[in-house]
Amino acid sequence: MKTVLILGERAVREAKRTPDALLPTLLIPIFFLIVNTGQAAKIFPTGSTPFLEGQSYAAFQLPATLLLAASFGTAALYLVEEIENGYFDKLRATPISRGSLAMGRLSAEALKSTLMTIVILLIAFPFGIRIASGPIGVVLLVILTAGWAVGYSGFLQFVALKTRNAAATNSAGLIFFPLLFLTPNFVPRSLLARPMEIAATLNPVTYMMEALRSLILVDLDWVVIGKGFAVVAGFVLITVFVNIKTMAKYD
Amino acid sequence: MTPSTDSFASEPTNSVPAISARGLVKTFTGRSGTVEAVRGVDLTVRQGEVFGFLGPNGAGKSTTVRMLTTLTGITGGTATVAGIDVAKDPDGVRHRIGVALQEAGLDMRQTGRELVVLQARLFGLSRADASKRAEELLELVELTDAADRLIKGYSGGMKRRLDLASALVHRPDVLFLDEPTTGLDPASRLVVWDEVRRINAKGTTVFLTTQYLEEADQLCERLAIIDDGKIVTEGTPASLKADLKARRGLESDPTLDDVFLDVTGRQRERRAGEVSEVAS
Repeated sequence: MKTVLILGERAVREAKRTPDALLPTLLIPIFFLIVNTGQAAKIFPTGSTPFLEGQSYAAFQLPATLLLAASFGTAALYLVEEIENGYFDKLRATPISRGSLAMGRLSAEALKSTLMTIVILLIAFPFGIRIASGPIGVVLLVILTAGWAVGYSGFLQFVALKTRNAAATNSAGLIFFPLLFLTPNFVPRSLLARPMEIAATLNPVTYMMEALRSLILVDLDWVVIGKGFAVVAGFVLITVFVNIKTMAKYD
Repeated sequence: MTPSTDSFASEPTNSVPAISARGLVKTFTGRSGTVEAVRGVDLTVRQGEVFGFLGPNGAGKSTTVRMLTTLTGITGGTATVAGIDVAKDPDGVRHRIGVALQEAGLDMRQTGRELVVLQARLFGLSRADASKRAEELLELVELTDAADRLIKGYSGGMKRRLDLASALVHRPDVLFLDEPTTGLDPASRLVVWDEVRRINAKGTTVFLTTQYLEEADQLCERLAIIDDGKIVTEGTPASLKADLKARRGLESDPTLDDVFLDVTGRQRERRAGEVSEVAS
């Protein structure tokens, strides 16, 4: 654990020194929030749209924004850079566990995502968005989003370890977009056309989105929240496991 | 393998050699088939010596180093470093070795001090001890003034020295230097040589791969030449030269360059002003 924190601290220091890499990961999701809300807010007015639970359409769109921001981790691309310049070998030659090596940058992604989520919420609050589940809900929302950031960055880090190629790693990151559009992104699942509803039901990201949305719009609905946490926990476990396995076999 | 004239004299005297390899093999399997990069390397490096490992490009030098430093799995054979089996206890080996690989792999977004402190902490030193050790090492490699600058602004020579410093944080028994002076200007090369001598004088065994024969001649007590994945000769620089002189009946003293070309079956040709190595 200590070595995870040491490597995580380095990754945070690195992020602070490269704000130009961090800024788009905040601005692009906010851009999507504004554009999506602008395009559909009139179709779904607050007063006559039951699924908004009395909030604006922006509140309904907020989970997609948070997930998008959490999917823009830089861990994998920095890892490719380190593989290419040889520093990764230097780290591999130290007696730290391969698990620590895998988790170092991912722990920094969790922290970065936490800060990013807080910033997005602070931007959203003046526009009337409220977290219906209260302070506990805010904490759960932050944890859930940070968990997603770790899982998704872990997936990209796995691609980086396998391909050792920046272009391939970057391309793998785009997988999030089809996954996002196969969720109840614009309307609840029950309002989707049947084929889309089936696709969304099979898509694990749906349960993440519904958990976040429930925290924002409803209250502490533990069944929905539980499904979101189960998806994140499974995702993190799988990606960390494959990362450790790949690091151990790395030649 | 060409025998050296003093092969018995150069046998290790310590009971536990710093490095020992027996029948070391590495094969890589890819889409284009299987490549045998190292084909049965036997090596013994005694404690406290500077051992040179020479060979042409693609001969298997770096692959051998990567196996000995736990960075690449061993396909066949056995190896121990500081008496520890590389395949069975890689973490044990990592505790005892320092590694400075080709191209000085460093994190360009850190300062020199941060990099050395981080390395020390990964070897288990506390924050305070790591800072103290970093200070000592940065002074040793004469980088104190540049310690708080980002590494991306360092010259090639400074990066090499920093890489050396970071490889020494835990006072390793065996230091692996893979082509530590490749790409450096002559002045920087001399500085690195001085560092290697200084490190060795403190009792650290140095395993040095190099393409520069002059470097091996200057620094190494013994050396081995690898070609096509196999050791083709081994001995002290003086013994290898004497052996060649005797075998070929040469009138003048050969250089290590001549030894290298002799055992690897290569020639050097001058083409358009450039000296290049060609297989004979």
